[in-house]
Amino acid sequence: MTSASKISLNRRTLLCGAASAALMPVVGFPRASFAQEDVVKIGFLAPLTGPVAAWGKPGLDGCKIWADWMNEAGGIEIGGKPHRIEFASYDDEDDAGKARAGATQLIRESDVKFIMMLGGNSWPGVEEIAARQGMLVSTLLPSDLTPNTETLIAPCEVHPIYNVTGVDWLAANRPELKTAVICAQDDALGKPSVATYLAAFEAAGIEVLGDPLFFDPATTDFAPVMTQLLAKNPDILCLDTCYADYVHPLCEQAFQQGYKGQIISCTLDFYQRIVERTSKEFMEGVIFQFPDFDDKALNDPRINFRKPNDFYAEYVKRYGATEWSAVSWEYSSIMDLWADAAQRAGSVEPADVLKAMKEGGKGKHAFGEARWWGKDLFGLDNALVGDWPVVVIRDGKATIAEFRSIPDWWDKHGPLLIKHMTDLGQMWSQRT
Amino acid sequence: MHERNTISGAGWIGILALAVVLLAVPHLVSFSQQELLVFLTINVLLVVSYRLLTLTGEWSLAHVVMMGVGAYGSALYSKLFGFPVPLAMLAGAVTAGLIATVLSFPLFRMKGFYFLIGSFAAGEVIRLIWKRFTDPFGGPKGIQRIPGFPEIDLGFLRVDFYQPENYYYFVLAVVLVSLWVLYRIERSRIGLTFHAIHWQDKLSESVGIDTFGHRMLAFVVASFFAGVAGALYAHYLSTVNPNQFNVDTMVYVLIWTIVGGTSRWYGPILGVIALTIIDEVILRGIGADQWRPLLYGAILICAILFLPNGLESLVIRAGEALRGRSASAVTGAAGAEQE
Repeated sequence: MTSASKISLNRRTLLCGAASAALMPVVGFPRASFAQEDVVKIGFLAPLTGPVAAWGKPGLDGCKIWADWMNEAGGIEIGGKPHRIEFASYDDEDDAGKARAGATQLIRESDVKFIMMLGGNSWPGVEEIAARQGMLVSTLLPSDLTPNTETLIAPCEVHPIYNVTGVDWLAANRPELKTAVICAQDDALGKPSVATYLAAFEAAGIEVLGDPLFFDPATTDFAPVMTQLLAKNPDILCLDTCYADYVHPLCEQAFQQGYKGQIISCTLDFYQRIVERTSKEFMEGVIFQFPDFDDKALNDPRINFRKPNDFYAEYVKRYGATEWSAVSWEYSSIMDLWADAAQRAGSVEPADVLKAMKEGGKGKHAFGEARWWGKDLFGLDNALVGDWPVVVIRDGKATIAEFRSIPDWWDKHGPLLIKHMTDLGQMWSQRT
Repeated sequence: MHERNTISGAGWIGILALAVVLLAVPHLVSFSQQELLVFLTINVLLVVSYRLLTLTGEWSLAHVVMMGVGAYGSALYSKLFGFPVPLAMLAGAVTAGLIATVLSFPLFRMKGFYFLIGSFAAGEVIRLIWKRFTDPFGGPKGIQRIPGFPEIDLGFLRVDFYQPENYYYFVLAVVLVSLWVLYRIERSRIGLTFHAIHWQDKLSESVGIDTFGHRMLAFVVASFFAGVAGALYAHYLSTVNPNQFNVDTMVYVLIWTIVGGTSRWYGPILGVIALTIIDEVILRGIGADQWRPLLYGAILICAILFLPNGLESLVIRAGEALRGRSASAVTGAAGAEQE
């Protein structure tokens, strides 16, 4: 027998041990497992690292809370039997190739019944495998929808169409603002959003000064971008749907260059950091579209998101207030919709859940009753659209100013949006 | 110096073992790892073609863009002009070679660091053209629903190239032929001239070598094979967009090449295989998805600190050790006989 004192740790032993420890999970640990039929696996395929991680990772964090709460309450009852929910995640790095490998792993190895994605750059890599396997997939970017993507749904965020509510509210509450400038990164997220803002400003009678400024996504110095925008002396500075890495320096530049007017943006992720780097006074009145879920307005009975204030408190407790982003609640709200449909269908099979989800052409969106819509814009009615909040920064804190109806705006100004989408080549029929 | 062209018995055994591994590997890994295997094999061609250019002493930052030219070209030839996919792939690669020919004229007026920056600028111009012109390049969203490699249906045998294991064998065949061509080029007179230009370009010129022509040749051939890699990529993934060929991807190619080493033809192959397995299999396998960039960076730093001549130096040292051991065994045996 070897006594402990005689065990020597040389470099080779150390390296072998470290390599073995690293490889063990790959080779496979014996794992405690629940009965397979009682566990439903849900795939989470979104960027968890890289520049777009802010729209992936906070969503996974939110889903962990959702699953913990659901499982603590006994799971979801489907077909008269409780089921635990487990999430299987894969970091697609916003890349189609990684997304394809991830979708293969989730569908063929993890046996997931539903996949949630951010969409955009990564979706084309998944499209065919989802169609072949009949997998139900959700995206946050309905611009991924085409008439052929029958198993793809946009059940939460109808980006960028909800941006019209912010402009509509601004025009009603600050009619003295008459001119605007727009900037966006030149990519698949920026362009349809610019088309939406152009339509919304035109509908509101606000003149857009010059062409929208598209900057390269590799841009790191935003001083010249802001100088160019502010040279037009606009009443409104529109930051479109820029990533957090751009919104922060753009706001800082606007502050440093003495801008005093109105700012409107689709997202304002981690806005507390912008307030810290600028000032409460500068950020007062900034409009965007994503509320903090401690907002009392979310306790309204029409809101379908379960316990929003408690969800926010738990999120802040686990991850910190500054980690809350636009997507922290979104994937969880999609799970609410999925769970409701699975319960009604009495099945977790993708086709059954989709059928139950779209039954009657209406669905329970996080912000109230909504309708399945999108044929005119995306070629099929797979986007769930209803009311959306307009959020305003007041005293350094995001506050819901009002809920506005996207369908109402669409009924009045739909052709205008189609015109601007067409001009920028963003209609589904124009996508190559 | 007389070059040895014969392969020893041990060499044949090694080749046979490698062939068995390459043929068996798709059946030994998981479904998602089969997908990675396809991309890894394509990336092998990408880094080996890049090494051919570095033989002349020039390091380009446009190589991934040249891959993109092959990918976009092949996608457009098949989608817009209805070329059969195999022909479109070839045409895409030829287009990458032609673009490289045109770029050679301004770029090879520069050398060293200036060439590096010039190649980056040229690559960005091409990438911005893809972004700017929605028709025909699809703008920032790129081209989608690119036709896949056609199925083979012989009645008794149906091969669907959407399946990763089938596409892997096709890619493997194309890459092995390409590697053989690149290897023969390096071992030929032209390859020796590339080396000469790298180490003594003025001396080479003084003995009548056309340094511009040879640099251009290396750039064009490397770009052609990068274009082949791009075409293989595009018809597998069914989508291309400008972000897939940006400078971040180029940095990965540089890392694979440097970590693997460039003094032997197999150096970059070792680099791309080792780092891909570490990043995509081991780090993902241990559930370190969100820590991968950090751990990957730490591994890179260690590799550069402890293996400054690349992973290939391990193979060289192992080979020397084996030769030393067999030589001492022979000497020992001869000594024993004399006694």
